[in-house]
Amino acid sequence: METSQNILGMLSGQLANAVERVGPALVLVNGRQRLPASGVVFDHELIITADHVLEREEDLSIETHADQTMAAQFVGRDPASDLAVLRVPNLGLDPAPTAAGAARVGQLVLAVGRPSSGGPMASLGVISASGGPLRTRRGAAVDRYLQTDATPYPGFSGGPLVDSMGTVVGILTTGLVSGTALAIPTDLAWQIGRTLSQQGHIKRGFLGIASQPIYLPAAQRGNLTQERGLLVVRVEEGSPAEQGGMLIGDVLVAMNNQTITDTDQLQAILAGGVVGQALPVTVLRGGSVQTIQVTVGERE
Amino acid sequence: MTTLEIETPVAEDELQPSIDTLLQRVRASVVQVRNRARGVGAGVVWQINGAVLTNHHVVAGERGPIEILLTDGRSYEAHVVASNADLDLALLEVQQVGPGALPLVAVGDSTSLRVGELVFAIGHPWGQRDVVTAGIISGTGRVNIPGYAEPVPYVLSDVLLRPGNSGGPLVNANGGVIGINAMIRGGDLSVAIPSHMVIRWITALERIL
Repeated sequence: METSQNILGMLSGQLANAVERVGPALVLVNGRQRLPASGVVFDHELIITADHVLEREEDLSIETHADQTMAAQFVGRDPASDLAVLRVPNLGLDPAPTAAGAARVGQLVLAVGRPSSGGPMASLGVISASGGPLRTRRGAAVDRYLQTDATPYPGFSGGPLVDSMGTVVGILTTGLVSGTALAIPTDLAWQIGRTLSQQGHIKRGFLGIASQPIYLPAAQRGNLTQERGLLVVRVEEGSPAEQGGMLIGDVLVAMNNQTITDTDQLQAILAGGVVGQALPVTVLRGGSVQTIQVTVGERE
Repeated sequence: MTTLEIETPVAEDELQPSIDTLLQRVRASVVQVRNRARGVGAGVVWQINGAVLTNHHVVAGERGPIEILLTDGRSYEAHVVASNADLDLALLEVQQVGPGALPLVAVGDSTSLRVGELVFAIGHPWGQRDVVTAGIISGTGRVNIPGYAEPVPYVLSDVLLRPGNSGGPLVNANGGVIGINAMIRGGDLSVAIPSHMVIRWITALERIL
């Protein structure tokens, strides 16, 4: 007595197709004591997963959609974005299809994971928020993130958040903010993944200053329009900042031609692959705007 | 004075009417199961003779009559015909009801469920009548049950279930019941008994009875 295929049935079929489409690029990751986690093929023989689900860097393995268990090599990890990369020789699986364009708030998404050998699991929701940068006391630092109300079942971390076409919009993790389902947008995750596959870790820029955000009274902004800046309260000896000529009392207002009004913006610039580059740093010094060159060092 | 703006749909909405039709049809076959010992649960009119299916745990230990309430306000007395604690299924017989008086539910095929398929649950969470929740098939699992040679399958979904949903139907996008909601695992994973297991159980009962 079931009715013929209507629009509801078509939507239902499309969601099931989405899970099926991403399935072959979705793997189970064995890297911790308790239950396994998920991972996504993002490049030739390379798998991206969550950093926090790898409790060890040896004796790692994956299981494919075809129930094949394969040894995996640890390639690199980035605790700040909770991403890690594994290499599986002779993997023979195509990278996951990725979504064109940015995810939109309200867009239907599926959280898909492979926490056990019994096939993929999925939950439905929407993109609840799109934001960034995100920084937490526990060390999370990412430029952009997506938030979803799709249920992150145990073992879903490292798996994909896909749209209704089955293309990946982000890599899901509950490790950045405990208990909250966040995803690193695909373009950013893939970029971090490629960097990890080349150098094993993410180089984060280092200036060697301590600073605090301050309000700039109108009379002390020079010809700038911004109301806030970072007051330099310490310059480490021998640091990139000292070598570039930064002084205690300078107010940092821009770097690499990007306005800086708080420390998150400064950290975002330093995390953006600028190690070793000489960047223009704009400061307010004695009421006038000056630009100096600072060669960004690498944070240990 | 403020003027009210009436919102106009951007395009002809086809989705909502098909959900309305589906729910209207299924709701007529969903009952509330009340007993004195354990409170309330849900059930579905499963067979032409007015047999109502619910969970074992909704009616366990009940010796007296059980009250069955339909959406349209009718109420009947029923008693337990058969019950299986391991499968968590119970079959109730409704008394003093003519053939066809209780609208039958459409049973869907639960042998070929796909992860991602849309599903709806109807039940009475915390006693609130006829509440609809929606989600997708999250996966399937298998569990060993006494009396069954093969592990018995179960259906996992992300629909929101609460006490009072037990025994109610999990329905696919075509309006067919593909499972009987039974429990919640780990706080947010809903477990249902697939319809084909219900059919197997009832068929075996008929042979015995």
